[in-house]
Amino acid sequence: MPKVRFILHNGKEHTVTGDVGDSAMQTAVDNAVPGIIGDCGGNCSCATCHGYIDADWLDKLSPISEDEAAILEGAMHVESNSRLTCQVKLSEELDGIVIRLPISQV
Amino acid sequence: MTAASNVEPVSWDPYNPVYFKNPYPVFRRLREEAPLYYNAEHGFYAVSRYADCERAMRDKDSFSSARGAILEIIKANIQLPEAVFIFQDPPIHTAYRNMITRAMSPKRMNALEAQVRAFCAQCLDPLVGQDRFDFIADLGAKMPTRVISMLLGIPEEDQEAVRQSGDDRLRTEAGKPMEVSLEVNFEGNAYSEYIDWRMTHPSDDMMTELLQTEFKDPSGTIRKLTKDEILNLVNLIAGAGNETTNRLIGWTGKELAEHPDQRRDIIQNPALIPQTIEELLRYQTPGPAIGRTLTGDVELYDTKIPEGSIMMVLVGAGNRDERRFPDGDSFNIHREQRPHLGFGHGIHVCVGAVLARLEGRIALEETLKRFPEWHVDYDHAELAQTSTVRGWETLPVFVGSAPKKGAAKPVAVAPAPKPVEKVPDAPFEGTWKLTVKGPTGAENTVLVIENKNGAWSGTQTGQGTTSPLTDITVDNNKVSWINHITKPIKVKVHFSGEISGNNMTGKVKVGFIGSFSFTAVKQ
Repeated sequence: MPKVRFILHNGKEHTVTGDVGDSAMQTAVDNAVPGIIGDCGGNCSCATCHGYIDADWLDKLSPISEDEAAILEGAMHVESNSRLTCQVKLSEELDGIVIRLPISQV
Repeated sequence: MTAASNVEPVSWDPYNPVYFKNPYPVFRRLREEAPLYYNAEHGFYAVSRYADCERAMRDKDSFSSARGAILEIIKANIQLPEAVFIFQDPPIHTAYRNMITRAMSPKRMNALEAQVRAFCAQCLDPLVGQDRFDFIADLGAKMPTRVISMLLGIPEEDQEAVRQSGDDRLRTEAGKPMEVSLEVNFEGNAYSEYIDWRMTHPSDDMMTELLQTEFKDPSGTIRKLTKDEILNLVNLIAGAGNETTNRLIGWTGKELAEHPDQRRDIIQNPALIPQTIEELLRYQTPGPAIGRTLTGDVELYDTKIPEGSIMMVLVGAGNRDERRFPDGDSFNIHREQRPHLGFGHGIHVCVGAVLARLEGRIALEETLKRFPEWHVDYDHAELAQTSTVRGWETLPVFVGSAPKKGAAKPVAVAPAPKPVEKVPDAPFEGTWKLTVKGPTGAENTVLVIENKNGAWSGTQTGQGTTSPLTDITVDNNKVSWINHITKPIKVKVHFSGEISGNNMTGKVKVGFIGSFSFTAVKQ
């Protein structure tokens, strides 16, 4: 089962384990990781699961869809490595992925 | 009472004023005794535990919104226009929702902060010095209306009428369901003339954007919205933006009066305000019950719920579920932060959540700056009678550390209108975008000027702070005022200008630093 290492804006870390096929957002919410809300339930329409993907992992993710790009364009604190974590589907290849969280999701 | 044998089975009637006043004891019983509840009289099922509410909100395929999300609307069984997307399923929902999601993005909404703050200041400054005010009449009913109207581009003089018509649509008689009609609730014809006018006078508001944007409609065709669709959308956004945030502001006034220790914690540390807003949304959810219709049979708690059944998702009950929120029936801004269902959840989650959070936060910040203490005047407070949105119709409060016994009549505080020979024509009154050509480049501020019975007041917002104005003078088209700014330095700023139509030009003297010129355009 792939592990995800979430690093909060204040530096605190939460390493959690999810199932292959689950999203990083769902894994965070299931494990009560603070700093991820996931209001829309993984439908790529609310920007409350925004995270920064560490460089080592960025290229391993599926490309950004048109919908995700539109949401990211309107989100706060966006960087070049920003993704919606509901669109990051866990796989064995992503075991150990590091996702940093923004100062706020709203 | 623990002996269940002689206790009536739990019953929840959404129209019973007792439950409306305080639904939480019955919500608790529903969660514990009837996690799948059926109300035979009104013909609906209800879930109340957090996990069940979350599942129902998330499972858009089994729990449909296509017949509406309000019990009365589902039962009215009317054909809703497609653009009323909150009451649609994908793909119809998706086509319209995506467009509004983009128009109300976090980036765009958070950019409104200075204006929201100026509107709050405009509502609250005139109250400073009074021994009472009303969280609804003086703030909740005004500020969100002005914000959403500004976004949409509804002229200021029509804003109150717009809010009132939205509120009236949701009003019910005590103990009775809301009356539903397609024309009154959804068509939005009140906005028709603005839309016609905006077609020929484009601006930077959302109405203009809706007129110009192309979208992929539910059939996959790329096109512009029709006028009817725009009417539906504007009607929806205006209604949603007024009523719900008003309720949030009312609950803020009520709960922070009831919990003075927590209010003092916030004054000591304003960084607690965002989590206070989340706790308010959890603890007193303005929209406590959300309806869905089953698209097929669903099995829950060993019961088969048949296709076509109405399911009320009691998010107001789920938000207090002990399984999710320890000690859920207590208000605690310091509790561990976890997502709640206050804005709903899933594809229909409130599209204006960012704006509501922003408005709630700034309303509280600006209230506490002026009124660190208040007490609710319960003799004169009243809950609004609606079956959809739960909150205060009027919430008068006494300002200060202790309720003033003798001052309990609300009429006593309405100031007698001052005898004024003639209220001057007020080209100065309104909102101005004012630019100072300062030593470090152009500085933009928002100037908001009011005239009440001849008395001038106003605020100016710049660099994220709002300050009240003093020494306002108006002599025909010549005006002057003083702004005591505190950032980046504490200094007295003296403006004097001349108005010509919707433009103003003049000089600004900044303490000992020097004089600069300014220009302003009326909004």
